[in-house]
Amino acid sequence: MIIKLDNINKTYFGAVPLHVLKGINLGIDKGELVSIMGASGSGKSTLLNILGILDNYDSGDYHLDGVLVKNLSENKAAELRNRKIGFVFQSFNLISYKNAVENVALPLFYQGVSRRKRNILAMEQLDRMGLADRAHHLPGELSGGQKQRVAIARSLITHPAIILADEPTGALDSHTSKEVMEVFRQLNSDGMTIVIVTHDPGVGAATDRIIRIADGIIQPEKPEIKL
Amino acid sequence: MFDLIREIGQTMRNNKLRTFLTGFAVAWGIFMLIILLGMARGVTNAFTDRSSGDRSSRLNVYQGVTNKPYKGYKEGRRIQPEMSDIEDLVARHPDLVESVASYKYLGSTNISSSKDYITKSPEGVFPAEKEMYKIPMLYGRFINDADLNYTRKIMIIGKPDATTLFGDPEKAVGQRVNAYGLSWLVAGVYDHEWLSDVYIPFTTAMTLSSSDGKVSNLQVKLKGLKTEEDGNRATETVRAALARNHDFDPEDESALYMYNRFNSYLRERSAFGILNISIWVIGIFTLLSGIVGVSNIMFVSVKERTHEIGIRRAIGAKPRSILFQIVLESVAITALFGYAGVFLGMCVMQLVDAGVGSTDFMHNPTIDISIAVEVTIVLVIAGSLAGLFPALKATKVKPVEALRDE
Repeated sequence: MIIKLDNINKTYFGAVPLHVLKGINLGIDKGELVSIMGASGSGKSTLLNILGILDNYDSGDYHLDGVLVKNLSENKAAELRNRKIGFVFQSFNLISYKNAVENVALPLFYQGVSRRKRNILAMEQLDRMGLADRAHHLPGELSGGQKQRVAIARSLITHPAIILADEPTGALDSHTSKEVMEVFRQLNSDGMTIVIVTHDPGVGAATDRIIRIADGIIQPEKPEIKL
Repeated sequence: MFDLIREIGQTMRNNKLRTFLTGFAVAWGIFMLIILLGMARGVTNAFTDRSSGDRSSRLNVYQGVTNKPYKGYKEGRRIQPEMSDIEDLVARHPDLVESVASYKYLGSTNISSSKDYITKSPEGVFPAEKEMYKIPMLYGRFINDADLNYTRKIMIIGKPDATTLFGDPEKAVGQRVNAYGLSWLVAGVYDHEWLSDVYIPFTTAMTLSSSDGKVSNLQVKLKGLKTEEDGNRATETVRAALARNHDFDPEDESALYMYNRFNSYLRERSAFGILNISIWVIGIFTLLSGIVGVSNIMFVSVKERTHEIGIRRAIGAKPRSILFQIVLESVAITALFGYAGVFLGMCVMQLVDAGVGSTDFMHNPTIDISIAVEVTIVLVIAGSLAGLFPALKATKVKPVEALRDE
């Protein structure tokens, strides 16, 4: 199992404490393409942040690729994010003054890979995404779909254990959304584990398994209606 | 490291105006510091030049009037130094008095060559005058002891006067001029920035004036002085010696007017010390306002780039690499613009040096390499400090919150 959550709880302590995740138990196997769906405020983004080691949880255990992710130092968390996880965001999150190849290569900068080597590797990933001819364009010069493919190339460059995508089609039109989902399907068929957080039923339908979350609790999978 | 510098270069290029405005404050601070230090150095150099050697350890004695009765003499008696005091002081206090000189101005006269004439009041001086006023000889020589011993009728003239009298100053030495109805030999030509006196031997001047061996002043060169007490003791010793020679009360301070340059030299020196410290303080504070500016802008920059920092953290940047990048960026801005300020400041000081050059109040107003090294250290420390607090703030931002910031 690539991801294993045991009884994960998370509460935000504001003026009124907000128990966002209530005993989440979840397992995702290597090579799965799953989606996490839920209404706004259901806790799906918090869950994704915990899966992405961007946020801490209060109790329970989270194992990522066999590593217990608990009470990590900021440095250790950064290293795990860098090596185990590829992020794809709704708003692409590319650095505006870096061109496509520099954006894709950035995670390797933090691994201390030489500039020459990381540029070669970044070009390979861009080529895989069909964007070799856009390598030296700034994000502002790319279409939404192209930007998202650059972001996917960036998420792949460190050969992570899993790709976490947060509403990856949220900012794209339906045609481009389909293209991006096709990219994810292709990557999945190559063996990549992918978790997509979405509220788009179409995107959910394109995945192998839908994990539904409501009010901080994972909903039991509905049995298939047999006709 | 090279990669990180490239990364910082990219960030700076991406924010050209902000980088420039931030750097400008630092450049201006350093520029002002260099100008102030250069000026202070110039004034201090001029002071050191002026007070070096003879003039700083000199006690000047002028005639006065007694205000105390002594040995049957009433007060109100005029006391005037004499030629005999000159040898007497050296002979009696060889450990304190190195030499004694005097000067005597003669009345105005026409000094004429076969070509032209000038109107001057020649000054009778000792050979020590040359050292005292740092008179640079252009041709020939200055007055020597033999000139004094033989009361020679020789003259030392300035370059402009030599040009008037002989056309070419180089030809003046060895020529003769007429003054006071006598024939004089021009023995030397000097070139000084602001002195234009005509010098003759002191003894010759005394012979020409009907002064009965009385002189208007004594210039006592003292030795072995270190503190203000030494200076005061020297004044009292010389006063006591002259009191014995001229029969006045050694406690009577108005009998002879005495001006001890050594004590004013000490006071001036401490004043220049304070001036230098003040300039460093003013300079550092001017620079500090620049540094606070850098720090302020770095805070803004960190705030502006919160989202970018979030992206970097999400894809694996450790807090220390974010910290290092921001501190280094701050050092780079501070150092780069700081050096521009140093360079401009040094250029301006070279221009001032070329324009003003060497006067009695300003000499070589430039800064040397040791100051540049000190400034470098100050810049790096200041740049690091300016970047440190914003950088620490940046590392405290949680990636998940930073990513939300748009």
